[in-house]
Amino acid sequence: MTAWLIKIFLLCLLNAAAALFLSPLFEGIMRKLRAALHSRIGPPITQPYWDLLKLLGKEDLGSTGGVVYAGMPAITLGSVLLLAALVPMGAAAPLAFAGDLIVVLYVATMSSVLIMLVGFASASPYASIGSSREMMMLLSVEPILAIALSAGAFKAKTLALGGIVNWQVQNGPSISMAIGGVAFFLALQAVAGKLPFDIAEADQEIMGGSLVEQSGPRLALLRWAMWAKQLVFAFLLVEVFFPWPHFGTYLVDLVATTVKVLVVLVLVSVIDVVNPRLRIDQAMGYYMRVGVSSLAALAFAMIGK
Amino acid sequence: MSTIDQATVTRLKEAVAAHGDRALLSTTQPHADTLRFAIEKTAMRSVVVELVNNFQARFLISVGTDKRPVTGDFAILHLFSLDREHLYVLLESPVSEKDPRIESITEVIPGANWAEREFRDAIGVHPDGHPDPRRLLLADDWPEGVFPLRKDFPYNYQPPRAENVRPQMLKPPAGASVMPIGPFFPVLEEPAYWRMFVEGETVVGCDTRIFYNHRGIEKLGDSVLTYNEIPYLAERICGICGFIHSTCYCQAVEKAAGIEVPRRARYIRTIMLELERIHSHLLWLGIAGHIIGFETVLMQTWRIREPVMWLCEEISGNRKTYGMNTVGGLRRDLPNQIKPKLFETLAEVEKETIAVRNAIVGDTTLQARTKGVGVLTKEWAKKICVVGPPARASGVAIDARIDHPYAAYDEVPPRIATQEAGDTWARVLVRVAELLESIRLVREALSAMPPGPICAEIKEEIPPGRVGVSVVEAPRGEAVHFVLTGGDNRPYRWRVRAPTYPNLQAMPAMVAGANIADVPITLGSLDPCFSCTERLETIDRRTSEVRVYSHAELLEMSRSRARNGGIR
Repeated sequence: MTAWLIKIFLLCLLNAAAALFLSPLFEGIMRKLRAALHSRIGPPITQPYWDLLKLLGKEDLGSTGGVVYAGMPAITLGSVLLLAALVPMGAAAPLAFAGDLIVVLYVATMSSVLIMLVGFASASPYASIGSSREMMMLLSVEPILAIALSAGAFKAKTLALGGIVNWQVQNGPSISMAIGGVAFFLALQAVAGKLPFDIAEADQEIMGGSLVEQSGPRLALLRWAMWAKQLVFAFLLVEVFFPWPHFGTYLVDLVATTVKVLVVLVLVSVIDVVNPRLRIDQAMGYYMRVGVSSLAALAFAMIGK
Repeated sequence: MSTIDQATVTRLKEAVAAHGDRALLSTTQPHADTLRFAIEKTAMRSVVVELVNNFQARFLISVGTDKRPVTGDFAILHLFSLDREHLYVLLESPVSEKDPRIESITEVIPGANWAEREFRDAIGVHPDGHPDPRRLLLADDWPEGVFPLRKDFPYNYQPPRAENVRPQMLKPPAGASVMPIGPFFPVLEEPAYWRMFVEGETVVGCDTRIFYNHRGIEKLGDSVLTYNEIPYLAERICGICGFIHSTCYCQAVEKAAGIEVPRRARYIRTIMLELERIHSHLLWLGIAGHIIGFETVLMQTWRIREPVMWLCEEISGNRKTYGMNTVGGLRRDLPNQIKPKLFETLAEVEKETIAVRNAIVGDTTLQARTKGVGVLTKEWAKKICVVGPPARASGVAIDARIDHPYAAYDEVPPRIATQEAGDTWARVLVRVAELLESIRLVREALSAMPPGPICAEIKEEIPPGRVGVSVVEAPRGEAVHFVLTGGDNRPYRWRVRAPTYPNLQAMPAMVAGANIADVPITLGSLDPCFSCTERLETIDRRTSEVRVYSHAELLEMSRSRARNGGIR
């Protein structure tokens, strides 16, 4: 029993560490790509690590008080790391026994809600506009994630993520999961806060939105949480919707999955570079259409395609 | 020069005489295209109504002058342009020091709002019946009753600082909250304070306080500098279109003094003006992209722009602020051996600009953010007397290069681009079209440029009391310079009106009912240039605060304010 616990604990640590320490690297690659498309040289790929170090060493201006404000950044990052332990990243999810799809969806929402709360708690008009935009984006995107993942659950007849992945590996591509994957990918753009959907941050309109009053270590943790979140979601997308080819060897699978995640994030970056920011009403309209279309995934799943 | 229709001149004279009756003091024609009527101030408003209604006169600017040392009175002058007739009309009224008031014309021409407040602040002549007589350009801690442009006011006078002053801002309507944009804000390159009254994400009104950066330029021009020093100061009015202001000033003096500028100099001025338009429009396109988060456009257009800056450097020695203009012509020739390089660079810039245009025109997301956004109707554009691309994008086909040809534009006329929609997308299209047209103009002017001298020889002193009005079509719209010559080898009064001055006044009409997210791009689509607009007096509103509070105290104040519920 103890050995089992230790093993789970170590695996959890591994996933959390991957989310923590790989996410700045992926962010660095995305920045480099953006720069290339801008005709710029761009910062070194390791820049995000230095950014975090720098922010961690900076003064916390503490512009607002309160419990929510004080504890929020750490909890946000924690929620993302918990999500990392619930999501398969190259191997079965370490905490798979602890929760199914519904828990994953709840935990995935936590960080957005927490960022929203800190925005409302900081009493800046820009932050509260940012938070209300964040809420609207969350409400638009969340149903799409749920629908896409439910298509998998419907096909595999299980709510466990691991079960869905296994079913996918065994049964190969299907129409419903392809539609679900595309819908999930489109939602990922908003989850990662990338253009044209970085509306809740919108530097040029509301100066960073919910995070406008954050500084120093707090800002570092929140940024880190956001980078880790985009990485974990990319893993989720790849594992659930595109798990092939599956080699069965841990290391090879890990490398293959990581490469696929990189491809996904590169695509996200390219979309980010070639688009201006949408207005919140336009973005909601867009995700409304994506959501309705993604219902097709469920329909196909029902007729077994 | 374009031909002036003598029948119109006669008709104008008759109309003003009829309205003025005994109020008409004198009629003069200081220049072929400039008519000057001196009238009693009581008749001013009715003559203005007549001009606007029956002659489609477009208001340019008001000039308040302290003529007490000469005539014993202040003089208020309203400057109009009759675009189709290529005429300027000056209506001037003496205003006695004992009764320093004049009837406001803002009710007739909403675009005169700021101009009237400005002469009130600067000279102390009150516009009676002005709908919004708040302070405009003086700092909030500037004492009452001190008027910086009066002749008995020394240019280096510093009034005592006042504590705890705030701008007089309008109260938001009931139920609306305030979203501040500025005084410092990411998309504003210069300080400006906009208060957006919002309900949810919808703007229901706005108020503004600008003029944070006055530099006392006009005062320096009529008290410290000489005719030939001013071009360098004029060039520094703007960080982008400096050549436009120095050209405009020189032309005004040349007109007042009757100096004929050599043809080659006029061609080189045209070329430099158009090069400025090219790099300014590319710069704007990038900033517009940046405002809506489209950084790729910013990076690419600024890359395309860079070779133009290098060319300017090669021609003048500087990327910006060329120091080429002087009264009577130019100080520096455009060497003929640079021509091939100019053609080559222009071809490259044109190719890449067309590529950007094609990418933009096909971008549906971009259109979603700009179509129907910040609409300025033709009616409002005319009322506020908006100029430049914002006017042309609203279907008002005015362009100083056509209406009042200067430099070599009578020989290489531009084709002007207009749109009817009046939204941000229309302004994008107008500017892109102008950009390509400017490239063509530079090419044509380069090919047609004659040899010869570049500066007229000026033998006599410029006599006092002459008037010169000059306009130049800047990238942002038409810049106006007015010069009244004086003794001491310097102007008695030099008045500058930058294009952003009228254009910014259109903001309230453009953002009403808009979404907050659209406010930055709406403001950006005017291509505002605050340094141009703000030229007058220097006092930093904030210095008095900083003197009283330490940095730490200020920081603590702002934080405690945030903790106690923030800005409501």
